[in-house]
Amino acid sequence: MSTVTIDKSGPTRKVKYGSMSRDRAWALRWSYFFLVLFAVFSLTPPFYMLITSLKSSAEISAATNPWWVYHPTLENYLGLLTSNQFLRFFWNSAWVSIIVVTITMLISVPAAFALARMKFWGSATLATGVFLTYLIPDTLLFIPLFKMFAVFGDWTGIQLINRWYVLLLVYPTLTVPFCTWIMIGYFASIPKELDEAAIIDGASWFQTLTRIFIPVALPGLIAATIFAFTVSWAQFLYPLVFTTSTDQLVLPVGIITTLIKGDVFNWGQIMTGALLGAAPPLIIYAFLMDYYIAGLTAGATKG
Amino acid sequence: MVDVTFQPNRVAGSQARKRGGMRNALRRKSTVAFVMTLPLILLILILVVYPAFYSLHLATLNKSMAKFVGFGNFEFLFRRDTFWLVVKQSCIFAISAVIFKALIGFIVAHFVHNVPAKKQRKWRGMLLVPWVIPPAMSTLAWLWLFDPSYSAFNYTLSFLGIGPIPWTGDAAWARFSVILVNVWYGAPFFMIMYLAALKSVPEQLYEAAAIDGANWWQRIWYVTLPMMRNIIAITTLFSLIVTFANFDIVRILTAGGPLDHTHIFATWAFRVGIEGSDVPLGASVSLFMVPILAIAAVFILRDISKRGNEA
Amino acid sequence: MSRKKLSRREFVAATALTSAALITAPYVRGAYAAGKLSMAFWDHWVPGANKASEELVKAWAEKEKVEVTIDYVPSQGNKNILTIAAEAQAKSGHDIFAMPTWWCHSNSEQLERVDDIMGPIIAENGAANGTVQYLGQLDGKWLGVPASVGSQIKGPCSRIDLMKKHANIDVQEMYPAGSPPKADNWTFDTFLKAAEACHKAGVPFGIGLGETSDSVDTAGAIFQSFGAQLVDAKGNLTVKTDAVRQSLEFYKKLIAFLPPDAAAWDDSSNNKWLVSGKGAMIMNPPSAWAVAKRDAPQVAEQCWTHGFPAGPKGRFAPYLPYFWSIWNFSKNKEAAKSLLVHLSKPASIEKMCVASGGYDLPAYEKLTTLKVWQEEAPPKGTLYHYPNPYKHQTLSIAASPAPPKVAQQIYFQATLTKMCLRYYQGEAMEKTLAWAEGECEGFMRS
Repeated sequence: MSTVTIDKSGPTRKVKYGSMSRDRAWALRWSYFFLVLFAVFSLTPPFYMLITSLKSSAEISAATNPWWVYHPTLENYLGLLTSNQFLRFFWNSAWVSIIVVTITMLISVPAAFALARMKFWGSATLATGVFLTYLIPDTLLFIPLFKMFAVFGDWTGIQLINRWYVLLLVYPTLTVPFCTWIMIGYFASIPKELDEAAIIDGASWFQTLTRIFIPVALPGLIAATIFAFTVSWAQFLYPLVFTTSTDQLVLPVGIITTLIKGDVFNWGQIMTGALLGAAPPLIIYAFLMDYYIAGLTAGATKG
Repeated sequence: MVDVTFQPNRVAGSQARKRGGMRNALRRKSTVAFVMTLPLILLILILVVYPAFYSLHLATLNKSMAKFVGFGNFEFLFRRDTFWLVVKQSCIFAISAVIFKALIGFIVAHFVHNVPAKKQRKWRGMLLVPWVIPPAMSTLAWLWLFDPSYSAFNYTLSFLGIGPIPWTGDAAWARFSVILVNVWYGAPFFMIMYLAALKSVPEQLYEAAAIDGANWWQRIWYVTLPMMRNIIAITTLFSLIVTFANFDIVRILTAGGPLDHTHIFATWAFRVGIEGSDVPLGASVSLFMVPILAIAAVFILRDISKRGNEA
Repeated sequence: MSRKKLSRREFVAATALTSAALITAPYVRGAYAAGKLSMAFWDHWVPGANKASEELVKAWAEKEKVEVTIDYVPSQGNKNILTIAAEAQAKSGHDIFAMPTWWCHSNSEQLERVDDIMGPIIAENGAANGTVQYLGQLDGKWLGVPASVGSQIKGPCSRIDLMKKHANIDVQEMYPAGSPPKADNWTFDTFLKAAEACHKAGVPFGIGLGETSDSVDTAGAIFQSFGAQLVDAKGNLTVKTDAVRQSLEFYKKLIAFLPPDAAAWDDSSNNKWLVSGKGAMIMNPPSAWAVAKRDAPQVAEQCWTHGFPAGPKGRFAPYLPYFWSIWNFSKNKEAAKSLLVHLSKPASIEKMCVASGGYDLPAYEKLTTLKVWQEEAPPKGTLYHYPNPYKHQTLSIAASPAPPKVAQQIYFQATLTKMCLRYYQGEAMEKTLAWAEGECEGFMRS
C-alpha cells in the first residue's frame, strides 16, 4: 500500500540554484520526450487492434495504409456480439472468473488470517510453502494434471476433461497462493492491540476476522480480488489443454482457436475479439488503478 | 513485511502470558487455525504437490505409458539436438528478456519519477496498459503486426527503404520478435515496482548528495541503486521464473518455428506431450524447468529469512 | 496399471450394456426414440460450407428420431488434434469424430471398425483412392469412413495474368477447361524457371516452409516426384539416398525464389499471399480463391487451379483426406453407422461438395467429375482440373509409404521442410541427412 498512499511530490520541490533549475528543466524535457516514445511503444498494439477492428475484411485485404481506417464499420462488433458462440465464450469466461474469485477469497482470507495471527504447529513453514507454490508455473503442471484428470475420469466416471468446471479446480492453484500471501501482509500490518482487545471482549476468532480484519484490510481485499479476476480472465494454457468443445471454451482460447481459421482470415473480427477480450481487465484497471497497482507492488515488496 | 509472518508466535506468547493457564484455549485456537488453513493445504497438496510428483512418475514411463523405462526418456532427450536447442533458447529467451525488461523498467521509472507528481498518475496509467491486457490477446495484435503479407511495421519501414523484414520467418528475427513482445508485456511491471521503490527513497538523501556535488550518475549509483537493491533482486527473480516458464507468447506468435528456433521448454513440452501424444516425454521436458525454479526459490528463501532475522 | 485396465474393461462392458439397452428397450417412445448422437465435424474454411452437412444430418435425424448435436472443430492451431487427444485420453466425448489424415491410425485402438458399411458404400461410389486406403485401413480393416468434407488436393493455384506476363506460361492453355491437360512440358525445370522469373518480377511463388500441413504437403509431393522417402514401407531408414539428396538440391534452388519469411508460414499465409496480390502461385485447395472472390474479386478472376509439375519419378499431387470415425466408447454405434451411410450417398456428397464451392474432394472413383468443378467461376472452369479428372497425377501424402505411425511423426514434426531449410541455410548435405535420420529414429519410439 505504501506506494499509493505515500505520494510525496519530492522531485518538484525546487532547489534554488540557477544552474540546478536549468538542469531540471532540461531533464524534464528529456523525460517527456522519452515518455512519449515509450507510451507509443506501449500503446501501438492496442491502438492497432482498435484500428483493425473497425475495418471490413475487403479493406484489410486491399492492403491500404494499415494505420488508418478509410471506411470505418462496426460490422465486426455487430458480428461478434450477435454470435452465440462468442457470447458463450464471454459468459463462460465471466462465470469461471467470478466463481474462481469467490473460491479464492473463501480459501485465502481465512488461511491468511490464521497464518498471520494464529500461531500453530507448522504455520511458518506453511506460509513459506504458500509462497513457493506461487512460484510453481502452470507450464510445469499441465501435463501431469491432464493425465491425472483422465485417470480420475477412468476410475470414477466423473468427467473433468473438456468440461468448463475443470477450470474451477485448476485456476485456484494460480490465484490462491498469491492472494493468501498478500493478505498475510495486509493482516499482519493491522495493529495487534485491535484483535487482542476483541478477543478479550469475548469475540471468537471468526468474529475477529469478519468484524475487524476484513473491514480494516478492505483495500488489500480489493487488490487481491482484482488480481484473482485478472489472472482467471487471462489464463490461456489450462483452458487450451483441458477444454476443447466450443461450448466449453473461455474467451482467450475461444478467440484463438475458433476465430483464426486457416484459409479465411477475418482479422477484423479477430482484433475485435481480442479487444473485447481485453476490455474487462482494462475497465477494472481504468476505474480501480490504485488498487490494481497496490496489489501488484504488494506481491513483491512483501516477498 | 515478510518478517511479520513470523511474528504471530510473539503475539501468542504475550497473550498466553497475559492470560495464564490458557492451554485449553490455545489448543482450541490451533484447531480453529488448522481448520481455516485446511482448504489451502488440500488445494496445494492435491493440485500442486501431487501433480509435481506425478510428473516425476510419468517421466519414467514409455510412450504408451505401459512400461517403466527409468531414465530412458531423459537418455532419449539428451541425444536429441532439438532438446539442446530448446535448453539454449529457453536460457537466451529468459535472460535477455529479463535484462531488457529490467533496464527499460528502470529507465522509464526514472522518467516518470522526474515528471511533476500530478502528471505521474496519467503516465503511469498509460505505460502499464501492456501488463493489463491478457497476453494471449495482445500477442494476437503483435502477430498481426508481424504478418508476412500485411505487416504494418513493414509497411511503415518501406517508406524508409527498409525491409521487408521477416519478423517471424527468420530464426534470428523470430527470436528477436518473441523477446520484443515479452519485453513489451513485462517491462511495465518492472516500471511499477521500481517507481514504488523510487518513491520510498528519502528525498534528503538526494539533497545531501546534491550538496556534496554528486552528478546524476553518481546519485543513481550511490543513492538510488543501493536503496533499491532488494526490490531489483526480487523483481528480477520473479520475472526470471515467469519468463522461463512462458507459454502463451511463444505459442501464439511462432508456435516454436521457424525450424524450432523459438521453442522454449513449455511450448516444446506442449508440442511433444499433448499434440504429439507422448505424455511421458512431455513431462520429462517440462521437468527441466525445475532446476532453475529451485535456484530461484533458494535465493528468495534466503532473502526472506534474512529479512526475518533483521526484524 | 492393472487396476486401470480392469476399470476400463468394466467401463466398456457398461457401455455395451447401455447401448444394448438403448436398442432393445421396448418402453422408449417419443420423438427421440433412437437415442442421442454427437459429432465433431471439421470446421470448414469455405464460408457457408458447414451448412450443407448440418442440413444433411438434421434431415437424417428427423427421419431416424435421433437427437443430434454437431460441433464444428477447426484445424487451425491444431485444435482438432488437441481435441482428439483429449477425447482419447478421457475416453469420452463425441460419437463421431472427423479425423484428419493420420489420426485414424494413431487412435486405431480406440476406433470402431466400419467394414460392414464400407462394403456397400464402395460398391455404390467406386473404389477409394490409394492414399485413402493407406490412411484409413489397418490390417485391411477400415478405421473410418472417408469423408468428402475437408478432403482436398493441394495443387497449384496460379495467377493467369502474372504467369503469362513474367514466366511466359499460359496455364489455361496447359490445363484447358473441359479437356485433358497438355502439360508434358510442365516439369520441375519449367516450374523452377517460372519461380525464378516471378521472383525477379516481384511476385514470387507463395510456397511455405513452415511446420503446418500446406508447407509439408508441397514438400511431400516434390520429394515423391524424385522418388525420395525417409522411411520406406517396411520401416527401414532410407534417408541417405540419392533421391533425398536430389530433392534437397532442388528445394535449395527453389527456396532462393520464395518469400524471405516462408519459414514462418502457416496454412493461412499462402492464402493471404495470393489474395493480397503479392504472388503468382500458391499450393492450395480453392479456399484461397474462394476468399479472393469475396474480398478481392480482381484477383479471383485471374486464378486457375491446375496440376502439379512432374519430377523425374512422376507427377505427384498432395491429397489430404478426412475420415469420419466412430469412437469405441460411443454409446450409439449403430446410429452413428447409419448416419455415415447417409452422408456417403452420392447425393449427399455432391450437396456438400457444392456447398464448399468445389473445395471438397470425394475419395471415390465415380465422384471426381461432378458438375460443380465445371461450373465454378470466375473465371469459368477455374476448378475444372482441381479434382484430377484425367488421373494424370498420382495422389499421395507426404511421408508415405512409411508405416503410418512413423509417417505421422515425420509429417507432424515437419521433418521434410526442416531438412530443406537446414540445407538451404548452409548446413552440409550429410549433416542434414544425419539430423533427419536421428529424427526418424526418434519417431520409431514406442
